[in-house]
Amino acid sequence: MRPYLPGYRGSFRSGFHMPPPYDLRLLFPMLFLVGIGIVMVYSASSAVALKDHGSDQFFLRRQALYVFPGFAVLLMCRYFPIRFLRALAYPILGLSFVSLVMVLLPGFGIKAGGATRWLRLGTISFQPAEFARLAMVVYLAYSMSKKDYKLETFSVGFVPHVMILLVFTFLIMLQPDFGTVVILFAITWILMFVGGVRLKYLLLSFLSSLPVVYLFLIGSSYRMRRIISFINPWRYAHDEGYQTVHSLMAFGTGGIWGVGLGKGYQKLFYLPEPHTDFIFSVIGEELGLMGILLVVVCFAYILWNGVKIARSAEDTFSSFLAVGLTVCVGLQACVNMGVALALLPTKGLTLPFISYGGTSLIMNMAFIGLLMNIGASQTRQESP
Amino acid sequence: MKPTEKSGINRRIYWVGAFFVCLFLIIIGKTIYLQVFQGQWLSRLAAGEYEKTLTIRGKRGTIFDRNLREMAVSVDAASIAAYPRFIQEPGAVATALAEVLNLNRAALLRKITSDRTFVWIKRQSAPSEERAIRALGFKGIDFIPEHTRYYPNRYLAAQLLGFTGVDSRGLEGLEYYFNDELTGTERSFTVLKDALGKKFDGDNSVEGVYRGNDLVLTIDRTIQFITEKALGEAVADFKAKSGLAVVMAPKTGAILAMANFPLFNPNAFRRYDRELWRNRIITDPFEPGSTMKIFSAAAAIESGGCTPNTIFYCENGKYRIGREVVHDTRSHGWLSLNMIIKYSSNIGAVKVSEMIGAEALHRTLRHFGFGEKTGLTCPAETSGSLSPYQRWSRIDTGVISFGHGMSVSVLQLVTAVAAIANDGVLMKPYVVQEIRGRNGEPIQQYHPQEVRQAVSPQTAETVKKMMASVVEPEGTGARADLHGYTVCGKTGTAQNLNEAGEYARDAYVGSFVGFVPAEDPQIAILVVIDELPYGSYGGTVAAPTFRNIARETLNYLNIPADPGVDRITAGRPRVKVNG
Repeated sequence: MRPYLPGYRGSFRSGFHMPPPYDLRLLFPMLFLVGIGIVMVYSASSAVALKDHGSDQFFLRRQALYVFPGFAVLLMCRYFPIRFLRALAYPILGLSFVSLVMVLLPGFGIKAGGATRWLRLGTISFQPAEFARLAMVVYLAYSMSKKDYKLETFSVGFVPHVMILLVFTFLIMLQPDFGTVVILFAITWILMFVGGVRLKYLLLSFLSSLPVVYLFLIGSSYRMRRIISFINPWRYAHDEGYQTVHSLMAFGTGGIWGVGLGKGYQKLFYLPEPHTDFIFSVIGEELGLMGILLVVVCFAYILWNGVKIARSAEDTFSSFLAVGLTVCVGLQACVNMGVALALLPTKGLTLPFISYGGTSLIMNMAFIGLLMNIGASQTRQESP
Repeated sequence: MKPTEKSGINRRIYWVGAFFVCLFLIIIGKTIYLQVFQGQWLSRLAAGEYEKTLTIRGKRGTIFDRNLREMAVSVDAASIAAYPRFIQEPGAVATALAEVLNLNRAALLRKITSDRTFVWIKRQSAPSEERAIRALGFKGIDFIPEHTRYYPNRYLAAQLLGFTGVDSRGLEGLEYYFNDELTGTERSFTVLKDALGKKFDGDNSVEGVYRGNDLVLTIDRTIQFITEKALGEAVADFKAKSGLAVVMAPKTGAILAMANFPLFNPNAFRRYDRELWRNRIITDPFEPGSTMKIFSAAAAIESGGCTPNTIFYCENGKYRIGREVVHDTRSHGWLSLNMIIKYSSNIGAVKVSEMIGAEALHRTLRHFGFGEKTGLTCPAETSGSLSPYQRWSRIDTGVISFGHGMSVSVLQLVTAVAAIANDGVLMKPYVVQEIRGRNGEPIQQYHPQEVRQAVSPQTAETVKKMMASVVEPEGTGARADLHGYTVCGKTGTAQNLNEAGEYARDAYVGSFVGFVPAEDPQIAILVVIDELPYGSYGGTVAAPTFRNIARETLNYLNIPADPGVDRITAGRPRVKVNG
């Protein structure tokens, strides 16, 4: 029996007729993911943190602190006038280019684990590659909305975008960060597809790039081993397939309900980077299939709203921007999950909102802020 | 904005959405496949990777002799293990460990660079090795508390004590029989959980693990040594194969010594033939031979129709029963019962048994405990064999009266003889007098326990006197005579059966059983010398061994000589006797 509450029926009815604004529809799943992220970062990293940093809360504290600048950036993006963003497309692109160059210069870049991915500016450090995704999306959205119907031509609609992409690719491969390159390529191709670049160009260029990718892979025994171990991880369970095999074991151990928060074993030095690249496996082990479904449903809900926002955006720039941002978040989530589930070879991409990492968290919250911004401007138009 | 163009964009945005729907479906599908359908297999696989369960045992209890001198102790011997994943400089570690532990460096390096999570470097290392490696302070090396069993007296009472295996489990003897009491409490822990979450050797402390209970034996280490020494000398002197001897306190049934020769060293038991591990005093039946005549005589007297002076015709050395012929080594004519025992006449014993009948003989033998286990707290006791009298033929009754056609254990025989020394009361033999808890508190005490009145005290007294005559100069056991003490005893000789079931010509078993001093018996001793060459008898081989053991034991126990015994008799000439 429902208790009688004064005004209950009325409020229900008003909620029924007017769906909640995009602000809330994006905020809640995002908050949920960030919350799960902080809890899982603590669970996954405490052993590593204690061993490497002397405190089991080392990563927990930092991740919790990143949420504050994250919200500041989110609010900034939420209320920043979108039309100014067009004007900022090239400055942002330039800034991203400079930061990508700077990270390669000795004195600015921080080398960790065989790659130089962090740029130190004073007391803060961030990953220019994360920022490059935003710059690329804004640039593409601006460029494609400006070119309009000329998009269909090869020289105007295809070549300039790919040139910019290749410059970025070159810089990022020097770090190296293969995962981000893959994401940038995917975003560019998807956006060009959405914008109306001829499918012929997209498919042919994709096919013609395959030999290059092949040469690139066999050019490095390290990358080749990764591919071979991806095809049959169990055969290389003690070498290259090690992470994959332990990630699969984590999922298997978790079962439907999980072993319980904090009770997983695979994060204890079996999984490399349990709090970043393989946090999805830790969720699978500790929270089980139920936890996994919750996370996937949250991402799916964000993406669904992203798609809706893109469709109903007031202009093509906003529409492209929304698609780019949605694809950024969605693709990165899918690639990370795919790696953990051994559907893709190991990359080194984080799970948005959940994995440990300041730049990644702040950038992804910025994407959500921008999506809210686009969604709100269009809601304003629709509402009487 | 051109509406047509925007609609094209919107259509393609749907395609992007559909693309993501596909991705998510694949992800969820794979997750369900892994977590639901492959979950069991994967989790079993995972458990095998990270769970290495080790058990820490409390120290095994100590075994003491009756004077609380250590017979078996456990000493700390930590096992050295490694977690290869945490070893930082495998090369340096391997070099250092190889030097300290005297191991092969290459094999060691292979071990500590393997992708296993846990490897043993050395089980049960010496304390000095443990100290040296701890001092090196390598990361990834751990010490699991373990113990080794050490027998400080080496060979002493080895067959009685038994020994333990590497996992501190009793495998033979008292170590086996009292394994549950001696074993300390256990605690299992998973190596990896500790190794990764917390400090390495934080959780494998011995906290909450207690040592096992102690055993206090009735064995006296000194008497055991005396017995083993005398037995060893006899076996060597007479070119025998082996020997057994038991020393018992007749009034209580407490066993003071229990010697099996050849000896073995339980500290290195694997270097010895496993035939030597067994406590044959308890486990092996043998044909007792003439020593059984004591009990035939006791049966005759107990049945009431006989006194030591009742005379029997001994057929001048040859007595035909059906198709069989019983021989005596020396021919006798008429002998009194006392003489039959003294000269050990087989035909006399047969005549006695014919007089009292199979049932009376059987009853008395059963009363003395033959055919049933004594219940000593040792593993694998034999009950010997004594078939029901209803199945005895005439010849069976005859040969059983002088100890053939039946078998007994050494323990049964000495216990039965001790009953005669103890006014006819059969005591239950025991070798463990107390189980003590880890704080020294008694957990279980074993007290002397009467089994039954085997024969009346008067009968026992009469038999005792007959046994004393055996050790007189003309008796078969004259060589067991002791200066200043009256010895009661009986010789026995039997032939071993060979593999074909026939009596072997070169495998005699010579035995002597007796007790001393006659007036107030303090020790009962049985000596069995096995596989003697032809021509040796209980009287010539076992009797002197009995004397050696008895003399030194009485001396050690400070038992005064009998006041009534004429010391001059000590120097009298020995006569050749047959058992």
